[in-house]
Amino acid sequence: MITAAIFGTAFYIASRIDNQRIAEIRATEDTISIDILSSETQFELLGNVDCQTLAQNPVLSDELNTLASQLSVAEQNLGDTNPEVIQLKQQYSLLEIKDYVLLQNITNKCGGKPVYILYFYSNSGDCPDCNQMGDVLTYLRNQYPGLRVYAFDYHLDLSALSTLKTLNKVNGTLPAMIINNRPPVYGFKNLDQMMALIPELKTLASTTSATSTSNSSSTKAK
Amino acid sequence: MDIPSNLGSLGVYLCLFVALYFEVFLLMSYLEKKPATKTADLPKRYPSVAMLVPCFNEAATLAQTVESLLLLQYPKEKMRVLIIDDGSTDTTRQIGEKLAMQNPSQVQFYHKENGGKYTALNFGISHSTAEVLGCLDADSFVASDALIEAVKQFEGDTSIMAITPAMKVYRPRKVLELIQAVEYTFGIFYKKMFDNLSAINVLPGPFSLYKREVFERIGMFKHAHNTEDMEIAFRMHANGLKIANAHNAFVYTTVPSTFKTLIKQRTRWSQGFLQNARDYKYMVGNPRFGNFGTLVLPFSLLSFAAGLYMAGYALYHLGYTLWSKVADISVTHVPLYLSPQQLSWFYINTSMMLFVILAVLMGTALAIILGKRIADTEVTVKALVFYFALFGFVAPVWLARAAWGAALARESKWR
Repeated sequence: MITAAIFGTAFYIASRIDNQRIAEIRATEDTISIDILSSETQFELLGNVDCQTLAQNPVLSDELNTLASQLSVAEQNLGDTNPEVIQLKQQYSLLEIKDYVLLQNITNKCGGKPVYILYFYSNSGDCPDCNQMGDVLTYLRNQYPGLRVYAFDYHLDLSALSTLKTLNKVNGTLPAMIINNRPPVYGFKNLDQMMALIPELKTLASTTSATSTSNSSSTKAK
Repeated sequence: MDIPSNLGSLGVYLCLFVALYFEVFLLMSYLEKKPATKTADLPKRYPSVAMLVPCFNEAATLAQTVESLLLLQYPKEKMRVLIIDDGSTDTTRQIGEKLAMQNPSQVQFYHKENGGKYTALNFGISHSTAEVLGCLDADSFVASDALIEAVKQFEGDTSIMAITPAMKVYRPRKVLELIQAVEYTFGIFYKKMFDNLSAINVLPGPFSLYKREVFERIGMFKHAHNTEDMEIAFRMHANGLKIANAHNAFVYTTVPSTFKTLIKQRTRWSQGFLQNARDYKYMVGNPRFGNFGTLVLPFSLLSFAAGLYMAGYALYHLGYTLWSKVADISVTHVPLYLSPQQLSWFYINTSMMLFVILAVLMGTALAIILGKRIADTEVTVKALVFYFALFGFVAPVWLARAAWGAALARESKWR
């Protein structure tokens, strides 16, 4: 009885911590959601204003990267079929899309040369290379904080995501990447191949190398 | 998680359940019957005692061992020391003869051809007429009141046929000695709890005491896969003879200080346990043999298997993780790096297994604390750190060697 009670307590503590994690992810998502809404409003308010103000007050959220790695941990602990995890991922994907759209708008209005990757992965066993691709992208994001990686579970049931896939003409071959609005790149690419595929990274590195410690996360696609 | 991984974890949970169940059981036993504190009472009667000191190449420690026996608080006319030199090739014989010459009224020296420890013990038993026969390995030293404490125990319960002491490590200094000091303290608790259950599983070489009647009823020591002290405990339980623990009778023993000698000693003990358990398999799970048959013997066997399984599981995971990492690096070309974010609490593994392992470790720590309290043993923080950090890595080595040796029925060496 006592041994069973200890096992029960261990299960309870582990569950409580997992719930705590979910709560933290939800809080981060809420923060990002408010950030993005604020950014959109700010963007609309500024209208045709000077892009210098935008440059001085970055409107894109840095916390998306943190959220990505937190979600990866939640997926590992609770499983990728957990309804709560799926819901969090849906919300995360929506936030990513909104952030991506905001990035496009800012670029259209103010120019600039953002470097971003739309990365499509799968956890459903149809992408054996996705885990290693995730490692490469995680490393790149760590090394280049200016690089924005938007990771999407290809099979996630989300209409906005379907639209994004259609717009970018992504077929079912995974992993798939859209780099800076160029045609999709399919299949695993190692670090050297990625560096060759994104020559813009060299510029990014030279401008961010001094402060490249703030962002890190895992775009783990298992 | 895939199915093999799930099955692997299930096995670990089963092992942890067994370990925790046993710990809880013994802790409950402690709460039900706490060990009595030491008193200044003396025995009403002093039975004649023969302390047998079997030795083989023990020149370095023999004199000190015998001197500790001569310092025992016991009527001199009631106690004899029999040194039995089992064909030593060093100066043990000269030292033994000198000790006998210096203490002719109390010390007798015998030299015989080498035949193994059990033959030396049997030689001593047959050359003595004492009521109580004690054994003391020639690398151990007794506290001066140890014999009185043991005799008081015999006197308190006349059904007791043999007594084990509380064993402590003699002057632990090196890392392995410190680890064993903690392990022996843990053992003091276990031995006392086994006593509560009337299921003591071994009568160790350092200072175990027997009534002569034991040998008259069940025969002398046997080779018993070089673990005659374990086999006699099995045989006593098989014949319904009671073994008790005198937790206030302290004996200090020297322990292996090198990895090689420690592994050799423990392989002998562990393999001996497996082989004796096989010889007495009819006792495993048999209620006719009380808690020894239904609890201690099955749990000891399960613990052995669990230790091996857990070590194998950990080794597999470590190897798999390393192999995967190397394979990943060769494919991705991503160097090893540490992300500052990974240091956050969020990324710490907080699975249920972690908390169950913590509970088992806490149970172990509690057993050590109680062992320390029972026998007033000194355990340093340094020793505890070494024990918890290293014991789990060292023990599986002798468990695996013992299992292999027992499977091949290869006899271990006792020297």
